[in-house]
Amino acid sequence: MRTGASLAVVERPIRPSAVEWEMERGTTQADHEATLLARIARRDAAAFETLYDRYGRAVYSLALRLLGNPQAAQEVAQEIFLHVWRGAGEFIPARGSARSWVLSLAHHRTVDALRRQRVRAVEPLAEGDLGAGGGADVVDQALRGVEGATVRSALMTLSREQREAIVLAYYGGYTQQEIASRLRIPLGTVKTRIRDGMQRLRALLAQTEEERL
Amino acid sequence: MTHEQASELLAAFALYALDRDEARAVSAHMRSCAECQRELAPLQEVAGQLGSAVRQVSPPPGLREAVLAGIQVRQDVIQVRRGWVVGLAAAAAILIVVLTGLGVSLSRQLAGLSTRLAAQEQVLALLAAPSARSVSLTGSVTAAVRFVYDPDRGRGALVVSDLRDPGREFVYQLWLIAGTQPESAGVFRPAPGQPVVLPLAVDFSRYQAVAISVERAPSGALQPTTTPILIGKL
Repeated sequence: MRTGASLAVVERPIRPSAVEWEMERGTTQADHEATLLARIARRDAAAFETLYDRYGRAVYSLALRLLGNPQAAQEVAQEIFLHVWRGAGEFIPARGSARSWVLSLAHHRTVDALRRQRVRAVEPLAEGDLGAGGGADVVDQALRGVEGATVRSALMTLSREQREAIVLAYYGGYTQQEIASRLRIPLGTVKTRIRDGMQRLRALLAQTEEERL
Repeated sequence: MTHEQASELLAAFALYALDRDEARAVSAHMRSCAECQRELAPLQEVAGQLGSAVRQVSPPPGLREAVLAGIQVRQDVIQVRRGWVVGLAAAAAILIVVLTGLGVSLSRQLAGLSTRLAAQEQVLALLAAPSARSVSLTGSVTAAVRFVYDPDRGRGALVVSDLRDPGREFVYQLWLIAGTQPESAGVFRPAPGQPVVLPLAVDFSRYQAVAISVERAPSGALQPTTTPILIGKL
């Protein structure tokens, strides 16, 4: 059920790329989104509808990217938005943007679904696939789905090892421990790669943002 | 977990790459550590950007409707009116036996809504199963609430025969407990003088208990915000 009013308010992004995301974080948009979550915490269904129109595509796309199956992605997306509805009160504006809160909730629920799938069904990656350079293929495949130019080039700036660890963690849904045993390297090494890689990404993405402002 | 240990794990925490226990320990530490909260925020933004960068695909049109329907209070809750008579052949005969045992009077009047009809059929089938089990929920309030389930087929139903009204501001929320992790199974309100049945379809091998807490109307909470008033071990 879409009303004329909500159509007028909602700017449905045609392609919410990383570039647009950075612009959104500017000022008014970010404030507006924090308000949206505060309204949802007060059980405002109209605010929830607006939030869906703004993030439905991003959330579904992320779930689809990780799960690779439209049916599963749809089910998880439903679950994610139910969590948003129930958990909006837990969003604290001082601790980050509304967008990253929604996306991190989406990522967590999707990875949970992915891990449940892995326990139940056949492992999508046979043991050893990631060892002896085999990890590169998996990472390349995951990277092909990354279209945001800013994020893509930032990822490409990392060392191959850092990129591999971060991509397997975020897009592959693997824990540090799982990455270590699959790549047959010490856990400490994975921890270092993830920590250094994330700090590097943080610096790179902050820099790009500054150049844009 | 010390501050140093937690601080070292923040990047992996932002990527959701810690195992359950580690993630819980980091969360617990973070609640009281402003420094870690500050450090995590930009890392979480990076993770959000990784999430935003995937190829954007339009969701199927049905998703919007399903999501918006999801925030309504559950529609498939059956209210069994006292004094009604059931005559639904074989399944109903078993239903009478079981529900009578639960202190529930019966209804043959199937609600017009298809969701309710499907839910009723689900409960009938559940109660007819030889492998069905039943537990009584007990706790801090006097109530007649049972949970009936069939672990083999992953079907179950909460049967609320007597539970006081939670007041206009609140609802009851049913939780399935996996380890120490409660997962919501929907919210409900008791109907005065009428039993209420909440059907469920889940894998019961994942859960050790069911619990009911009082939460804010109309949609409850993400995680229990009050101590459960009733618990039943599966």
